Amino acid sequence: MAVSNFLSKGSLLKQGAEARVYRDIFLGKSTIIKERFPKKYRHPLLDEKLTHRRTVQEVRSIQRCRKAGIPTPVVYFVDYTSHCIFLEDIADSVTVRDHIVSTQHQSHPSPTLEHLAPLAVKVGQILAQMHDEDVVHGDLTTSNMLLRRNGDVEDASELSLVLIDFGLSYISGLPEDKGVDLYVLEKAFLSTHPNTEALFQKLLESYTASSKKSSAVIKKLDEVRLRGRKRSMVG
Amino acid sequence: MTVVIGFEGSANKIGIGIIRDGEVLSNPRRTYITPPGQGFLPSETARHHRGVILTVLKEALEQAALTPADIDCVAYTKGPGMGAPLLTVALVARTVAQLWGRPLVGVNHCIGHVEMGRLITRAHNPTVLYVSGGNTQVIAYSERRYRIFGETIDIAVGNCLDRFARVIKISNDPSPGYNIEQMAKRGSQYVELPYTVKGMDVSFSGIQSYIEEAANKMLASAQCTAEDLCFSLQETLFSMLVEITERAMAHCGSQEVLIVGGVGCNLRLQEMMGVMCKERGAKLFATDERFCIDNGAMIAQAGWEMFRSGQVTELRDSWITQRYRTDEVEVTWRD
Amino acid sequence: MHTSHQLELYPGQTVTQVLFKCVRNSADLRKSAMEGKINAALINPKMLVDPFQVIVAANKAVHLQNIGKMKTRSLYSEILFNLSPTNNISEAFRRFGISDADDAVLVVLVATDDESQTLADVTEMVDGQQVHVEELPTLSDVTQIRKLYKVTPQEEKIGSLLDSVVCKMATKDVM
Repeated sequence: MAVSNFLSKGSLLKQGAEARVYRDIFLGKSTIIKERFPKKYRHPLLDEKLTHRRTVQEVRSIQRCRKAGIPTPVVYFVDYTSHCIFLEDIADSVTVRDHIVSTQHQSHPSPTLEHLAPLAVKVGQILAQMHDEDVVHGDLTTSNMLLRRNGDVEDASELSLVLIDFGLSYISGLPEDKGVDLYVLEKAFLSTHPNTEALFQKLLESYTASSKKSSAVIKKLDEVRLRGRKRSMVG
Repeated sequence: MTVVIGFEGSANKIGIGIIRDGEVLSNPRRTYITPPGQGFLPSETARHHRGVILTVLKEALEQAALTPADIDCVAYTKGPGMGAPLLTVALVARTVAQLWGRPLVGVNHCIGHVEMGRLITRAHNPTVLYVSGGNTQVIAYSERRYRIFGETIDIAVGNCLDRFARVIKISNDPSPGYNIEQMAKRGSQYVELPYTVKGMDVSFSGIQSYIEEAANKMLASAQCTAEDLCFSLQETLFSMLVEITERAMAHCGSQEVLIVGGVGCNLRLQEMMGVMCKERGAKLFATDERFCIDNGAMIAQAGWEMFRSGQVTELRDSWITQRYRTDEVEVTWRD
Repeated sequence: MHTSHQLELYPGQTVTQVLFKCVRNSADLRKSAMEGKINAALINPKMLVDPFQVIVAANKAVHLQNIGKMKTRSLYSEILFNLSPTNNISEAFRRFGISDADDAVLVVLVATDDESQTLADVTEMVDGQQVHVEELPTLSDVTQIRKLYKVTPQEEKIGSLLDSVVCKMATKDVM
């Protein structure tokens, strides 16, 4: 009750597909609160199970990533009864999605790859690091990566990237799972940002160069892509 | 006025429809129904279509009260679908186009569903859930393409339902999905099944193998009824579909949903999608079995749009293809 | 000199922290606390990075008390338990409670607005020198903290030690 009373006074940032996201002062700090509210369309037993599982997975993967030096927001507090996670507000950041869109706008028509290449390299590095820790994100999109604004940087090592939204994540060492993770990103990336095939290729090259286990993963990625193209589509 | 006739036969339905500027003049259809426990095979399905196509064509013209001279363009399904049935129907479309001296337009089957849904429901720019025996896609329009935001990474939802029907020998008449839907209404016990959403994609193969393995055992031990299994399967599959649709909506900032494809006429799926939309303040558009299930008018409608925007298919290019992605087509008729 | 923080989730409840150095009666304090005579948490400052760490623990304790899901017997023992990176209760008390030889103590009170009297009562029992709570970091044993919370060098590259400690505390239930 206390949590829902608190949220009712907070400012709703967005209603995502599975959670409402608020920003408020909590324990004296600017905090992002992610509330997984009940989904009335699905069976109550299924809903409770999924919501609980995703809250737990998000918390676990954040901690696992942080331990390995992969930037994710600090968890301040979790309420497992209202399925709310209270997270560090990454100050002065934009989603990678917004960053790519605005860069594409500014530098129309062609030199976008050049401008965005360091970012693609950085994303590839971080995902490689995450997969090497056997964390499979499960929902990789350019909306689920935050970029701290620290001016124009030429070099990937100066970019500060933060991964968020680990609700669909899980722990797996299987190249298949990691390959699908990249496949999901590839599709989200290319459908959200038309004509960025070269940029995504850059990201994959960086991933390949950074991960110790990348060759098996990339092989699976190729297989999963092929499955998509070969799928029978009858009816 | 532009009158387009559309030929569809990519799976086990053969349909021919006539559209005149947004008005459906006729839309007859036949379905090849197999015995319980059996799916439809390409060559037998093609034989079925060959046997009835001229009767259906005659019906289409008679019901529309038109003669071939009134037709401006002949549209046919170029793909995706089963090779043999596609070929059979394309052959007839090519033949009449030459007999009547009219241009041909090859249509992407998935886009036929989308355009028919838009015509019937008047949805403006919806996020489209396309669900059928062979396809599971979440589509949204952007920059001259119907882009696939989410899809199955293995089998289609209708395929999962059909195969389950075969395992527990549910009748294929009028369709396995329809019979599962009716049985599910009498189910009450929720049996937990695997649930796999990856980003905006879904995977059904895990549920498929789980239920194939477990269904008959659970039924034999009276752990649950066939109705309970139908109910649980629908609840699980449809929750996944509604979830990825909502994810795509949130991603694209869309406030409209259109459900198309054979599985799209399932009322439980429509009900669940409606609840989701209501919570988001969005609007749901759906059609009934006449237009959800494969039909000729949908090919005519997409063909109408293509023809009006200047697209025609030359005879030498009027082939068919079993694989034809929705996002391969340049949409020349929308802004 | 003390700090008070009103809990956003439970606006009636305020967490107050008072820090003492040169404490001469640690043994008595510990005994009184164990006998339940002190209505406060007495914490060994060595394992604390920052007052925020205590607020995180106190917020969780108040919340769990409200929903009836505390793991320990009282609100104050729950705060000690919440500070710990593990789910072992006796270890938490050993690490974060005061021992007879300690000469510094952080007193933590959780009170509703009309109970301000307790603050004076408790501080009166401490025989030591009250200092500003902001001095807490000067009493931290950073090496021990890193060891206890198993903070990795990679982790400290992406955030502060406080970040690592707090995140570990907040996530321990599901690890």
